[in-house]
Amino acid sequence: MSERTIELEVLRYRPEQDSEPWFQTYKVSCPEEWVVLDALNYVKDELDRTLSYRWSCHMFVCGSCGMVIDGEPKLACKAFLRDYGNRIRIEPLANFPIERDLVIVMDDFMEKLESVKPYLIPKEEKSIDQGEYLQTPAQLKAYKQYSMCINCMLCYSACPQYGLAPEFIGPAALALAHRYNMDSRDVGRKAREDTVASHEGIWECSFVGACSEVCPKSVDPAGAIQQVKLTSAIDYFTSWLPGGGSR
Amino acid sequence: MSRKPYQRELPKTTWFLRHARYKKYMLHEISAFAVAVYLLILIIGLFRLGQGEEAWAGWLSFVTSPFGLILHLIIFGLSLVHTTAWFKAVPQAMRVQRGEQFVPGPTIVGAHYVVWAAVSVFVLILAGVA
Repeated sequence: MSERTIELEVLRYRPEQDSEPWFQTYKVSCPEEWVVLDALNYVKDELDRTLSYRWSCHMFVCGSCGMVIDGEPKLACKAFLRDYGNRIRIEPLANFPIERDLVIVMDDFMEKLESVKPYLIPKEEKSIDQGEYLQTPAQLKAYKQYSMCINCMLCYSACPQYGLAPEFIGPAALALAHRYNMDSRDVGRKAREDTVASHEGIWECSFVGACSEVCPKSVDPAGAIQQVKLTSAIDYFTSWLPGGGSR
Repeated sequence: MSRKPYQRELPKTTWFLRHARYKKYMLHEISAFAVAVYLLILIIGLFRLGQGEEAWAGWLSFVTSPFGLILHLIIFGLSLVHTTAWFKAVPQAMRVQRGEQFVPGPTIVGAHYVVWAAVSVFVLILAGVA
């Protein structure tokens, strides 16, 4: 098992002592098959118990260990050391306030996620006795890609629009709105429209596309947002036609 | 315990220098200006044509001058950047589902290039070049 010594430059911020963040370097002897999260766990267990970061599943499912590794938003559990040099710079996700070290404040994301009503709004509520809301495989396929989001927030870290205009609802929340809008069992598009099709919603997106490039689950939030723009624009123009409804 | 979250600001004017993908994005955004400038040159050409033979000849000598030719090359290059960037993005914005499958992205992009070539040939025929 080959090992090499890697210097981890980790952004530290301890609110009770530091006025601003600074980099601390840890030297760690790492087996090549480790991921960055393993190296951080080694630091935490053996070198410095004060280092704070979030993680849980270690298998790209929970979405907790998002951080910026060598300038790129990544899941620390999916960033293999063999793909990096001997110095790795580790920072918290960009565009979010830092709570402590690599831990960010995610309240803004949670509020935005909630604002798009990311749940099934069926035409008629059914009791359990009435059975499932049925769906064909083709209907499932229409939205499945957008349902793979694990709320890891890498897309918010990559999105310069979110960094520059923090009121932007952002990639993951809008992609999830699209996921439910595309679901054949859902009739909530109108209920989501005021939030989703607003200036802070899809129209704030300038299609940089960085969100889709960094998404560890290939959700393609940028694509979802452009599709919603198209639907929303068609809605707007058809509303001008006779019988097109209210604007 | 009181909290003291630290907010790092994104620099308002230099943010795009931070990553190659942002620079690429800026390039294809700026390339839109090249397309706009060329439209302006063409509109001015039409306007000069309406003003008579002398005015038209002046415009023609401007676009065929060495400066005019270099400008053409730069604008053509940036137009290519613009077109290819947006063609590449089409499959993201336009998903075509057939049953349980989506039409592959390269097919959608390829169709755009075919239409682009066909329109270009049509315009060249109209212009009497081809």
